[in-house]
Amino acid sequence: MEKKSLWEFGTREVVYAAIGAALYGVFSWVTNFLALPAAGNIALRPAVAIPLFFGIAFGPWVGFLSGFVGNVLGDFLSGWGFWWYWDLGNGIMGMIPGLIAAGIVSYKAKETIIKAEIFIVIGAAVGILVPSLLEIPFSGIDLKTAIVGYWLPAAGTNIINGLILVPILMVAYDAVVARSGR
Amino acid sequence: MLVTWKYHPRNSLLEKLDPRARWFFSFLVLFSIIQFWDVRFLCFFFALVMTQYALARLTWAETRRVWTFILIMVIGIVALNTLFTGRGGTTEVLSGGHIIWRVEWNVLGLSIHPTITVERVWFAFSQIVRMISISTLFLIIPFTMDPRLYGVTFRGMGIPDRFAFSMDLAFRFVPTLARDFSTTLDAQRARGYELDKLEGGVVAQIRKMAPLVVPVTMNAILSGEDITNAMDLRCFGLRPRTWVHKLSYVRRDYILIAAGVVILISSIVLKMAFHVGDFWMPAWALTWAR
Amino acid sequence: MDLNSEAIPLSIQNLTFRYHIREQPAIRNLSFDLHRGELLLIAGASGCGKTTLMRCINGLIPRSYRGELDGQITLFGRDARALGMADLSQTVGTLLQDPERQIVGSYVLNEVAFGLENLELSREEILQRVDETLDYLGILELRDRETFGLSGGEKQKVALAGALAMRPRILLLDEPLASLDPASAQEALALFRRLADEGVSVMLVEHRVEDALKIGPDTVLYMDEGEQVYYGDAQGLMQVVDYHKVKLPAPIVMERAKSAPPPTFMLAIRPDSRDPLVTFEDVHFRYDSTLPEVLHGVALTIRKGDVVAILGPNGAGKTTLVKHTLGLLKPTQGRVLLEGRDTREMTIAHAAKTVGYVFQSPSQMLFAPTVEDELAFGPRNLRYDEETIRRNVDLALQTVNMEEYRDSPSLALSFGQQKRISIAAILAMRSRILMMDEPTAGQDYWNYMAFMDAILQMPGFDSVIFITHDLDLAVTYANRVVLVHDGRIAADGPPEEVLRDYDLLQRCRVVPTSLLALNLEVLPQTGRFMRAEMLAHVVA
Repeated sequence: MEKKSLWEFGTREVVYAAIGAALYGVFSWVTNFLALPAAGNIALRPAVAIPLFFGIAFGPWVGFLSGFVGNVLGDFLSGWGFWWYWDLGNGIMGMIPGLIAAGIVSYKAKETIIKAEIFIVIGAAVGILVPSLLEIPFSGIDLKTAIVGYWLPAAGTNIINGLILVPILMVAYDAVVARSGR
Repeated sequence: MLVTWKYHPRNSLLEKLDPRARWFFSFLVLFSIIQFWDVRFLCFFFALVMTQYALARLTWAETRRVWTFILIMVIGIVALNTLFTGRGGTTEVLSGGHIIWRVEWNVLGLSIHPTITVERVWFAFSQIVRMISISTLFLIIPFTMDPRLYGVTFRGMGIPDRFAFSMDLAFRFVPTLARDFSTTLDAQRARGYELDKLEGGVVAQIRKMAPLVVPVTMNAILSGEDITNAMDLRCFGLRPRTWVHKLSYVRRDYILIAAGVVILISSIVLKMAFHVGDFWMPAWALTWAR
Repeated sequence: MDLNSEAIPLSIQNLTFRYHIREQPAIRNLSFDLHRGELLLIAGASGCGKTTLMRCINGLIPRSYRGELDGQITLFGRDARALGMADLSQTVGTLLQDPERQIVGSYVLNEVAFGLENLELSREEILQRVDETLDYLGILELRDRETFGLSGGEKQKVALAGALAMRPRILLLDEPLASLDPASAQEALALFRRLADEGVSVMLVEHRVEDALKIGPDTVLYMDEGEQVYYGDAQGLMQVVDYHKVKLPAPIVMERAKSAPPPTFMLAIRPDSRDPLVTFEDVHFRYDSTLPEVLHGVALTIRKGDVVAILGPNGAGKTTLVKHTLGLLKPTQGRVLLEGRDTREMTIAHAAKTVGYVFQSPSQMLFAPTVEDELAFGPRNLRYDEETIRRNVDLALQTVNMEEYRDSPSLALSFGQQKRISIAAILAMRSRILMMDEPTAGQDYWNYMAFMDAILQMPGFDSVIFITHDLDLAVTYANRVVLVHDGRIAADGPPEEVLRDYDLLQRCRVVPTSLLALNLEVLPQTGRFMRAEMLAHVVA
């Protein structure tokens, strides 16, 4: 593999951003709307693992678009309209873990996974903070409501899902990378 | 499982407009709405977005769910904000005021004292009108914009080729991946996997998604290599591309954008020069006070 | 690009390439020419270097795949490495193996226009060329359709249109028959012949040599492990290639196999009784009340000892039918009994103890970090105790001969190994009926024959059911053929009876093969169908 440039956005990135977005959209839709109690009940969105993981695997732009476009698609599929600042927040959530993409040699190495977990926490925390704060001027709520009503539940569940599912995806991806000829 | 986009041709006026003009208009109106807390102005915008909603020709059946979602969301957040916080968007109105109801609660040694004042109730009402207006403004988009035009629309609004095409490609992958998901679900159920059995704690429940999420994701990633090749072989990204769908503004689109600009400028002028539009409450509401 | 049209379209001299992550070259010292209007068949088993060769010609090597390239590739008299991608793409068109992984547009129009859009042609010219190309391929009516809803054959034509719209004069086809049913494959082949006859130089890479030979390739290049073993006309090929690795017409295999020892294949299924395992009683099914019915009154009983081939074209309802066995789908009318119990009254997990269903592609189900975890997944879901699970996993690994991979990640294995793991995952549940959907998909002839041989010689199953559109698989392995057409069972019985009716086969879009014809010819002597290698020793 050639030395990856962190912010490159070539054909490969175009494709993986699209795949990440479509996966995020489809998984969100599936867990929202089909009778999948295991997914629905925990009131969590396992789908958030996708933009976090795509960031780590393919870089910050791919992470950003997976989150941003994926959230748009999920809302479109479910018919929930367009919530641009939440889309933006999901984008940031995927972009931040993407910052570690360039240096990764093995996706299953303990150090990589620990680093990834740290950035998942930061990504979800910061990503969701942006729309939560934007709700203040838009909806006229105060900071406490933004934190308690939006940030804590959304960021919290995203972090839990990300921490559990992203490493599983990384280990699987490590095996897949071994088969690619590039 | 088959995904279906919410869009289908409805022969509405909105669909005749250039999608770029609609996006511009929507954002201009959004930034106008957030200039105001005066419910009289908000009602104007409420009427405006409801007119747009009516023009979209959506049916109750297809929007019932989203309306429920929005109402629960808005009311939940507004209730939380009204009951438990001291300050709101317009700070002064929420501190002090004319009390209707007040209690002292002792939760885990912390004293919290939700207070309902006339001002808070009226502010909550304004909030609801404003939040519903903003939601409704964008709610119609999935139903009334043709998915095949998204890429070219955003290209036309200045997003670079590659990013715009990535959006198009994402739309292309959605039905395929939804089908792959249902295949994988069946394949795992054939191995005795039961998604509907709730067992274990949160961690175990989330881990339970792995047999579904991993195969679909890895399969998609593997196919990505072929897709990348296919695109490189057909010269993607070598030079600025032509988009075969053509969007062009006609007079009604200019009128729409101009209307948006006028609304935003008037809103800002009203707010900045005339200082109107801040929180307002009719005098009669004070009779509610204790 | 100004090409010298008089020059030979493609000339390869001493071509060698090694991927930078590999030790050994993927191809070595290849030399051949491709003339105007020539149809060149490149044959070989998987791993022979066919794909690498194509990548060298279409420019993906060295652009996307790095490595060491030696030798000369000349396109119309010019060094291919000196050409830019824009020029290359208008000289060499490529059709990749799986059209599903080549199509980038949501709509046919966008897909066909894609390359032209990237070349920055004017909108008018693009639209004109799209219509022209679609019309040429006879699919103009698909122009405004969504690509997702197209059939396999239509998808491939659309993908081909996307390449042809750029007006290449050389066309590379990478295993274009792999995802098609036989009837669509025949159409596709006829189309490739026509393209060559009209002056395009066609390089067809295909391991289904028998099918490809039907359209009379002008030359054949046979590759094995990256080397050029044979280059010449089709006749000569039949005598040189290893008939185990590449599928040749049955009479030729029979002739050549006479000098080899007879194959030793022993079917493992030995019924002690003919008890019914699965019974379909007047099963009707529709996915949704708004959609048309897919199965119309299917009645069928599978008994112990049956090796059933479910044959029929794509879209006939084969998969829908077998999904009922396990209760993945429940009939909208009628009922399905699994060992006497209605599938409506049991969970899928419960049914899975009896029926093991292997899906088409192993990548649709593999997820665990190690092979061992993968195999334990099923039994664990079925609540077996840990000791039983361990025993089952051991046995399953042994049976598929993969013990050394116990701790390897299943996702890192080769396709063939993954396929075996997907069978082992079912074996570990100790299901007594094995159902397989297109067991040969994605594998070449050599691999899938070895795979089928291995499965049918495995102990432990009461019955094996496989869906296929490969008639020869039914001829070789099945003792019962169920022909499905249009949601109904068109015929059901021993292969020797069902498959002799050519009119029926044609009505059901099943294409007779040389192996079937040969078997029918010698049936009075043999009494039953068998593979060509066996016929060589049975027929006097």
